[in-house]
Amino acid sequence: MLNLLTTNQLSRSFHKDQIVQPLDLQLSRGDILGLLGPNGAGKSTIMRMICGDLAPSSGEVEICGFNLVEQPQQAKRNIGYLPERPPLHPDQTVDEFLADCAYLHGLKRAQIDAARSAAKRDCGLQQSGRRLIRKLSKGYQQRVGLAQAIIHDPQLLILDEPSDGLDPAQIRQLRELIKALAADKAVILSSHILSEIQATCNRVVILQQGKSVYNGDITPAEQTCYRLGLEQNPLESEIAALPAIATAEQLHTDYFLITLEPGYRPSECLEQLLGRGWQVCELSPATRSLEQLFLQATTGGLQ
Amino acid sequence: MSLSLAWIEWRRLMRTPLAWGTLALGLCLLSWQFLGTLESFSGMQTAHRELGLSHHLSLQLYGLAAVLILLITPILTARLFSETFRNGSYALLSSAPLSNLSILSGKFLAVVGYLSLLVLIPLLLCLTLYSGTNLDLGLLLAATLGLLLLSTTFAGIGLYFSALSENPGIAAAASYGTLMLLSLLDQHTESSSFIHWLAWPSHYLDLQLGLVRLSDIAYFLLLALFFLGLALHRLDRRRRG
Repeated sequence: MLNLLTTNQLSRSFHKDQIVQPLDLQLSRGDILGLLGPNGAGKSTIMRMICGDLAPSSGEVEICGFNLVEQPQQAKRNIGYLPERPPLHPDQTVDEFLADCAYLHGLKRAQIDAARSAAKRDCGLQQSGRRLIRKLSKGYQQRVGLAQAIIHDPQLLILDEPSDGLDPAQIRQLRELIKALAADKAVILSSHILSEIQATCNRVVILQQGKSVYNGDITPAEQTCYRLGLEQNPLESEIAALPAIATAEQLHTDYFLITLEPGYRPSECLEQLLGRGWQVCELSPATRSLEQLFLQATTGGLQ
Repeated sequence: MSLSLAWIEWRRLMRTPLAWGTLALGLCLLSWQFLGTLESFSGMQTAHRELGLSHHLSLQLYGLAAVLILLITPILTARLFSETFRNGSYALLSSAPLSNLSILSGKFLAVVGYLSLLVLIPLLLCLTLYSGTNLDLGLLLAATLGLLLLSTTFAGIGLYFSALSENPGIAAAASYGTLMLLSLLDQHTESSSFIHWLAWPSHYLDLQLGLVRLSDIAYFLLLALFFLGLALHRLDRRRRG
């Protein structure tokens, strides 16, 4: 399947500081990638590089097979970008603004009306077409920003903090819209809100100081976690020393989150635990939450 | 694509009260000057008339028009880049399938398109006399060409400073400073001939007097291209961070 986005060792430096360390990404149709990280981690910089607003210091970006440097116009035709601050012209009405955006992205005059109606319908702006953008609330301005990003039906949608300024009901609508759009597109979105990423995305890149410390599925299949309860209270290192156990993390006094070494089954793990003389009161599958992933990744537990 | 962007930018410009207010003010001031010139010319005794009416109009009316364009252009151009950098709307253009050259030429054509409306006002005022007087149309067209070239040069300078700063006020102030400097460079007789050549009033005066010389046309176009080249370089630098 054709990758809609491929980045190869994409990095960015400002003066001597490396803001984004080399990053490899591949996104296909249906992927919703969340960029997660504390402030200043490089999320917006990565998005700006992918949409061509900022040149990378090294590395390459390919969008739908078009190199962003060698074929920028073809590549950019496939991008829809909503920056952190919606790029709006407050003196225009919503209809005028969206028509201009469609025109800028190369849509023919005959296509503009239909594209604008579809974008307004998707973003809940049917009643706001004739209103001046400056008179709209922050939430509605965010919707107009989203509408300009999708009006030309791009293959890759880049959304920087798209839920900013929206109320909880609007956030839920936005999630549904992003999931619907992702059926035939790839979407990248950044957010500070872990639950937002968890509810919307199927992949996540966790960034810390410009470095990707985790890049994969939100619940990695190859690292199934188990919740382990023991009557005794051994050290994490003692548990991790067992051959079947790859990692052990103490969640509470008597509970641990463990991952198994590849090839071992839970029954073998149980045998080894009992063989060590520990009383097992619980061994159950546990889904690793994004918060755990994030904390592990940003505190160095995951590489 | 530059023409599409120019059309979009021109329409955006024409939606602002600034654009219409400036046109209205320009029309009032130029009409006032036009009537004043006619009155002083008709009150002059024939023996004292060293120059014809067309020359009077081209010097006084087009002189005022040049000053108006000098005052207006920095305010208009400051919005085109600085304001979009500041309010974040530049991302619309930088992520659209447009090269920096297309973005710059689109904005340049939009502002020159608007200034052309101001350029046409003196010509239209003079043409109201066409049926009753023996106007030197060639002279007036040369002065109109001069005003148009002046507009392109000022627009190029204004766009460069607009691309340089995220603050429209600073961009406008820097444009005013440069335009004033270029206006005064030929005031000191001891300056070198190159410094004299850099000043626009002498080149514009030739065209006001009906002298269409390639050197004067080249001056305006070269200066405009020089500043547009700097603006393009600035946009590329901005993208590289």
